Amino acid sequence: MKHNEYKQLLQLSLFGELKSEEQLKLKEHMLTCEECRVELTDQKNLLELISGKKKTDVDDKVLSAARYQLRGALRSEKVNKNILSSTAESIHQFFTTPLKFAIASTTMLLIGILVGSLFLGKSSGEELTVQKNDEYRFASLGENIGISNLRFIDSDASDGDVEFTFEASRPVRLRGKVNDPQIQSVLTYAMLNEQNPGSRLNSINAMDTEAPMKYDQDIKNALVTVVMSDENPGVRREALKLMNKIPYDESIKQALLYVITNDTVSGLRIEALNSIIEAGSKGHKLNSEELNLFRQTIQEDENPYIKLRSKTILQEYN
Amino acid sequence: MHLNDTDLILQTQKGDQNAFEELVYRYDRIVLSIAMKYAFNEDDAKDLYQEVFIRVYRGLKNFRFQSEFSTWLFRITTNVCLTYKTRSKEHLKVSIESDFDNEENEFSTTKELVYDGSSPEEISSGADLGEIVNSAVESLSPKQKMTFILKHYEGYKIREIAEMMNCKEGTVKKYLFDAIKNLRKKLSPVYA
Repeated sequence: MKHNEYKQLLQLSLFGELKSEEQLKLKEHMLTCEECRVELTDQKNLLELISGKKKTDVDDKVLSAARYQLRGALRSEKVNKNILSSTAESIHQFFTTPLKFAIASTTMLLIGILVGSLFLGKSSGEELTVQKNDEYRFASLGENIGISNLRFIDSDASDGDVEFTFEASRPVRLRGKVNDPQIQSVLTYAMLNEQNPGSRLNSINAMDTEAPMKYDQDIKNALVTVVMSDENPGVRREALKLMNKIPYDESIKQALLYVITNDTVSGLRIEALNSIIEAGSKGHKLNSEELNLFRQTIQEDENPYIKLRSKTILQEYN
Repeated sequence: MHLNDTDLILQTQKGDQNAFEELVYRYDRIVLSIAMKYAFNEDDAKDLYQEVFIRVYRGLKNFRFQSEFSTWLFRITTNVCLTYKTRSKEHLKVSIESDFDNEENEFSTTKELVYDGSSPEEISSGADLGEIVNSAVESLSPKQKMTFILKHYEGYKIREIAEMMNCKEGTVKKYLFDAIKNLRKKLSPVYA
């Protein structure tokens, strides 16, 4: 065996990776090799130095904070998935009403015209409308819609159903009451998934109406997700304002606590803090783990007002 | 009733969120421990931790028990760490991508700056030896650093590390030997 190979054995030996016969060979070699003995001492010193200077244990507080953030992220993940499927379902419903045959036929005609206009480059010259219960209108499916990647999943309309996907550079226009579940479903999807922050903002504002509003579970979950994870502070702020209009519950409380401990914008942290205080005045309680978050905030938050308000919360609950 | 990993995975696949949480709690301390040693700071470590479990959550519905859950989890952990870009750019002494495919080129010019201006005497008498050691470990290439962390700090066998990193045992040994060689270069003024 070459000298360099013994050096490798020596390293493996320090990591406890040698078989007994290899260990024996190395031991015999070391008896006669001064260089390897020096090498062994050197590497032992190195590893001791490194072992002594690197933190090895995970702090319980850090683990608990990581778990808390993970719970929030998983909630967002789940909500996004649900919204996606309910929006898809909502859009699907446009094509699966009792008037299946009529709509399917109209749709097939519409697709024919659209595809025709795409390939022949001619305008049909008329605005096409698909109606359902006089509330929803696809009113803009006219010329130059810019449909691309049309793919049929089911093109056989004999059973009344067709299914397809397409991408359109020009949006479909949808009109209806803001309280309508299908309108809400699209807005909810947009507030979560639109790339443009202005569109996300508008989707939230559209639901922030003076009229009595029905907020279903999907909207609440979407707002919670936006409050916790939208990258744009303006969007988070509007979502927070709207969320405060929804009856307070556990998921809203958790979202507010998340903002207080994680949001980088102090104005939003203050707003969330005020909401928690207001909920407290209405009898909503915080458990000991949640109170610990305020202890942590007092120590770590840079904003003196937030520190002060957190102290107030702790005093009120003690 | 104590459920094993398989039971928890099956329940998670049926949509039981509590089962997933229990599964996470079984392993998350180790994942965070690896992330803490790999990352530059606590925030990055928490990001890594979160990314790992989000990927596990997404992937679990397709988990077919072809490997141990823990092996799969730690493979995700090493992948996430190796491809992660720190969010605090001032700590980004080197682009991960730039040396990702070049394990030989462990020390870029920017990395050398870690010790610029410090003579061996200054380093030896320096107050924060821990910081110097951490910088030396951090200056290793991603794969060398990951191998060294898993072996030296977490105590895994080379065979296990090879499984986690999806490579041969010989490759792991090579990363480990190179890591030691580079650490010696960096730290010999301190301990020799």
